[in-house]
Amino acid sequence: MTSIRKWFRPFEPATKSGNVIVFSAWLIIVVIYWIISSLGTKHLFPTPAQVCEGFISLFNEGLIVHLASSLSLCLQATFFSLLISLVIAYLSPLPALRPLSVAMSKVRYLPLTGITFYLAMIVSNARQMQVSVLVIFMSLYFITSLLAVINDIPKEEIDHARSLKCSRWEVLWEVVIKSRIDYVIDVLRQNLSITWMMLVTVESILVAAGGLGVLIKNSDKFMNHGRIVALQLVILAVGLLLDSALNITRKGLFRYSKFN
Amino acid sequence: MTTYERRDTILHVENISVSYGNKTIIRNVNFEEKDTAVPGKVQGQVIAFLGRSGRGKSTLFRVLTGLEKPATGKVLIPDYSRQPANGQQPAKVVEEGDVGFVDQKYTLFRHKTLYQSLLFALRKSMSSTAEKHGRIMQYLSDWGLEKIKDQYPNEMSGGQRQRTAILEQLLSSGNYMVLDEPFSGLDVGNIENVKAAFELINRSHELNTIIFSTHDIELAVQLADSIYILGHKNCAGSDDAGTIVHHYDLKALGLAWHPNFTPQHLELVQNIRSSLLAS
Ligand SMILES: Nc1ncnc2c1ncn2[C@@H]1O[C@H](COP(=O)(O)OP(=O)(O)OP(=O)(O)O)[C@@H](O)[C@H]1O
Ligand SMILES: [Mg+2]
Repeated sequence: MTSIRKWFRPFEPATKSGNVIVFSAWLIIVVIYWIISSLGTKHLFPTPAQVCEGFISLFNEGLIVHLASSLSLCLQATFFSLLISLVIAYLSPLPALRPLSVAMSKVRYLPLTGITFYLAMIVSNARQMQVSVLVIFMSLYFITSLLAVINDIPKEEIDHARSLKCSRWEVLWEVVIKSRIDYVIDVLRQNLSITWMMLVTVESILVAAGGLGVLIKNSDKFMNHGRIVALQLVILAVGLLLDSALNITRKGLFRYSKFN
Repeated sequence: MTTYERRDTILHVENISVSYGNKTIIRNVNFEEKDTAVPGKVQGQVIAFLGRSGRGKSTLFRVLTGLEKPATGKVLIPDYSRQPANGQQPAKVVEEGDVGFVDQKYTLFRHKTLYQSLLFALRKSMSSTAEKHGRIMQYLSDWGLEKIKDQYPNEMSGGQRQRTAILEQLLSSGNYMVLDEPFSGLDVGNIENVKAAFELINRSHELNTIIFSTHDIELAVQLADSIYILGHKNCAGSDDAGTIVHHYDLKALGLAWHPNFTPQHLELVQNIRSSLLAS
């Protein structure tokens, strides 16, 4: 009894088993709510059985192939945008190049449609189009986050390197690049949710190349609730999986990386 | 009283002032230190800065190490890359990297273990890898850091980080080393380690010069041969800037390089205490 009361006290440290119990309780509540709210003939959410059916139908329609296509698009776009963003962000400590990174970061307020319009005039291939749209948008977000990481480096760390006879380029290499690689992985992880959302949107704009976005669009057309929810769950699960994979990678590779 | 001789100027600070925005932090800081030579032994210099909190010790140190450009004035050190002219060593304005610096927050590379940090500090040295390893391991065992040699800064205690920061500069810097409050946060044993390191630096080269700040007056009197008090001239004035209000030359007073703490030393401690309180 006392332990339950503790769960309602702010800043009370919880035990591992306590956390498991709290988490399962929430899960059970959500599932019960779902079952109850989808009883009867008129309901907003599809029943668990409908979702199950939707899942099977998705699978038969090539869910795995579409998933692989989405993941490969995500990988390609992430690779190129990260490369571009890192170069631009790492050069931001140079006063002459700083406006470039600051401007790029501000441009993220431009709407997606405007840029796709111009891109469509240059790029004809659907896949290329998807990659370029994603690369442009992801870069803007990456640059913003990377700039924040770089600006947060305490002056003392820079001065410490300078006092150890590091040239300015060495300071950049040691303090900004090497000592903050773990932050880059975290920037990647934090922006992944935006990427993942944009990815599905971009795919549903340009259906020719396939992917999870196309599946959503098809399900929309038939108003198949079970399928839509099943698909959402798949997309959510894959996103969370990528998120934790990145987190585990960061903590595994960098023992000193102790934040969150 | 030890006889000694004043030789070349090793540090000349001319009319330094620093402001942040329109607030002047330190103003008109002037002093000059000479290489002191004691017949029959190698004797470096130890200079201490005392001052109440916020009087600008750390600010002055950032200028002395060339990390911050002062608003006015300059810091000059001898330029040994050039030949002496008219019996005088040409001087140059201090630049970053000329003077080793251990800051008050014991900043380290967050991505390097203790051992890697020390190896990095030695990267410019010509010695072989085996020699470097031997030197590092010797220091680590002398300073009681052997067990934590593969730990990162965020796995070290404050005192361990501080000793690492001091060791890094010992391995990397040339003749000059500035330490901002090197004794705070250390236990009695560690304080002896750092004192021994000062002694060693002093004995190893005539031109070696240690500049440190501390709030421990006894320690300053024991270790330093020159003590400056940084304070406010007009203590009541609200927008007063820090400057040197007193200089105690322990060599001239006959109190430097003494093996033990005499009543004269104690008297000096009392003097300094009241001078600090008045600034
Ligand atoms: N970046 C800054 N911007 C504005 N004011 C500053 C800045 N850094 C330091 N100061 C001010 O300069 C004054 C001197 O600071 P400094 O750190 O040099 O003091 P200190 O003598 O080293 O003190 P302590 O003994 O507490 O370390 C303080 O009043 C502080 O508020
Ligand atoms: Mg200070």
